Amino acid sequence: MVATQAEQDDGTVFPVGGGETGSLIRAFDWSVTPLGPITSWPQSLKTVTNMLLLSPVPIVLLWGEDGIMIYNDAYSVFAGARHPQLLGSKVREGWAEIADFNDNVMKVGLSGRTLAYENQQLTLTRRGVPEPVWMNLDYSPVVDESGKPAGVIAIVVETTKRVLAEQRTRQSEARFRALTNATSDIIYSLGPDWKEMKQLYGRGFLSDTDAPAIAWQADYLFDEDRPLVQAAIDEAMRKKSVYQLEHRVRQVDGSEGWVFSRAVPIFEEAGEIVEWFGAASDITERRRNEEHLKLVVHELNHRVKNNLAMIQAIAMQTFRDASDLKEAQRRFSARMVALGRANDLLTGELWVGASLRGAISQAMEPHCPDASRCLVEGEDVTLSPKTALSLSLAVHEMATNSLKYGAWSNDEGVVDVVWKIYERADGARRLRIVWRETGGPAVSPPQRRGFGSVLIERGLSREMGGEVKMEFLPSGLVCTVDAPEDPYAERPV
Amino acid sequence: MRVLVVEDDMMIALLIEDMLIDLGHEVIDLAMRLPRAEELAKSADFDLVILDVNLDGRKSFPVADILADRGIPFLFATGYGASGIEPAYAGSPVLTKPFLAGDLQAAIGRLVAQRPYA
Repeated sequence: MVATQAEQDDGTVFPVGGGETGSLIRAFDWSVTPLGPITSWPQSLKTVTNMLLLSPVPIVLLWGEDGIMIYNDAYSVFAGARHPQLLGSKVREGWAEIADFNDNVMKVGLSGRTLAYENQQLTLTRRGVPEPVWMNLDYSPVVDESGKPAGVIAIVVETTKRVLAEQRTRQSEARFRALTNATSDIIYSLGPDWKEMKQLYGRGFLSDTDAPAIAWQADYLFDEDRPLVQAAIDEAMRKKSVYQLEHRVRQVDGSEGWVFSRAVPIFEEAGEIVEWFGAASDITERRRNEEHLKLVVHELNHRVKNNLAMIQAIAMQTFRDASDLKEAQRRFSARMVALGRANDLLTGELWVGASLRGAISQAMEPHCPDASRCLVEGEDVTLSPKTALSLSLAVHEMATNSLKYGAWSNDEGVVDVVWKIYERADGARRLRIVWRETGGPAVSPPQRRGFGSVLIERGLSREMGGEVKMEFLPSGLVCTVDAPEDPYAERPV
Repeated sequence: MRVLVVEDDMMIALLIEDMLIDLGHEVIDLAMRLPRAEELAKSADFDLVILDVNLDGRKSFPVADILADRGIPFLFATGYGASGIEPAYAGSPVLTKPFLAGDLQAAIGRLVAQRPYA
């Protein structure tokens, strides 16, 4: 039976136990190191070796000037792939990449002083590649039988995971701060039951909450909206899930605004909600646009129906006494075109008012045989959209009649439309429009009132709140409209 | 029936007048703007009113107030439909434009039948 290196003169085995590393120490040929054969080790070295091998904490002993390395199982885990080559090596060679660091450790330790490092970062190659490693390092001198420092003992606790986790937390916090600064959203946090607003950055849209506030609902919400908001809060708390709601808010200046608000619960490890964290964007402008759009759609629907009623009216008038269906269809189409053009005139003015000149000109132009035969004179007047539309349709009828029977039915007749604002004897401001045809064939009052006449005599006069006179003179038709300039300024007595 | 027509659109006013005449009613007058409509609602003598809601951008509810005071029945004729009627008149009959002569006659019939003294 071959005696192991570790068998002592008295037949006992050294070191005792120590797991895998203990076995390696016993089997190691220490005679090739400055320590000499294990049987010749001083008692002080043996005692410290036994002590560290029985410790669950990673401990390494650096013995002698060279710092020959003796360590335990816990340290071998720390050393990674560098173990077991490290065992029995000189520390400056074993950890060649941090030789300078260990050189200092040896000098300080062997001079009898201690060294302590917290979260010391060193770059070690433990798995084939250099990597940053963080450690808590405590170095103490170990004295031999002479009472002088003969080695240094180090407790090595790796803190890499904790340090990296802290770094990630710090980065995450920095990113969060950057986000709250970068976003234009309102950022807020509330207690787990939503009773207390801890903090709210209002972005100048809402007032800020810097210190926890219980009365936040009264501050930020209108009373009538609170049940709606509370219902959404209750639902989010019941589901322990996202809170989301569009609601009205009281802005910094007290006026009404709208927000789209979302909050998520933050859980502690046991799964209880510790906080609600949320963001709200100012959607006041969008809500206003939506409200406006609703109004516009409603109004548009009304106008479409009104226009259909108008078309129905034109169809009734055109076809009710028609003897010639083809002719009636042609007239109906022409009236639709006139109505369409009149609508263009109004949309151009955004339905707030239309020009008298525009209403007359655009109804005459399509029928006018030659620019020199249609004269339009007068200082422009703004009409209500309704009046402009009616006038436009009336002028369309006058123009088609002129083409058929009047001044435009030959090669030289002229239609002259003149208007002016004047003051009557009683001080009332009046608008007078005169349509005068000259140079056409001799005219006589028609046998039957056509649509044009009906429109002007029954319609336009009342539309404009005035009088209309149709005179069939030998020289041509003269139609005079005399009405108040502003239908709202003058009340008939 | 003797009818007052309040309608701001010339063409539609002519249509309603013709419909009423064809149905055997008498159109005693037509008002196309609010001041004239209020004037006639206060002073004229008639049995019922066909009342447009939007008179050249002005709502005709002041006219409805006068008619309600006088106890004269009226029906709204409007492109807005019932949604454009003020809450105070939510129960009033509404004819949505465009409508047929038959719709107009039926609405007048219902209006007259509702009158306790008719």
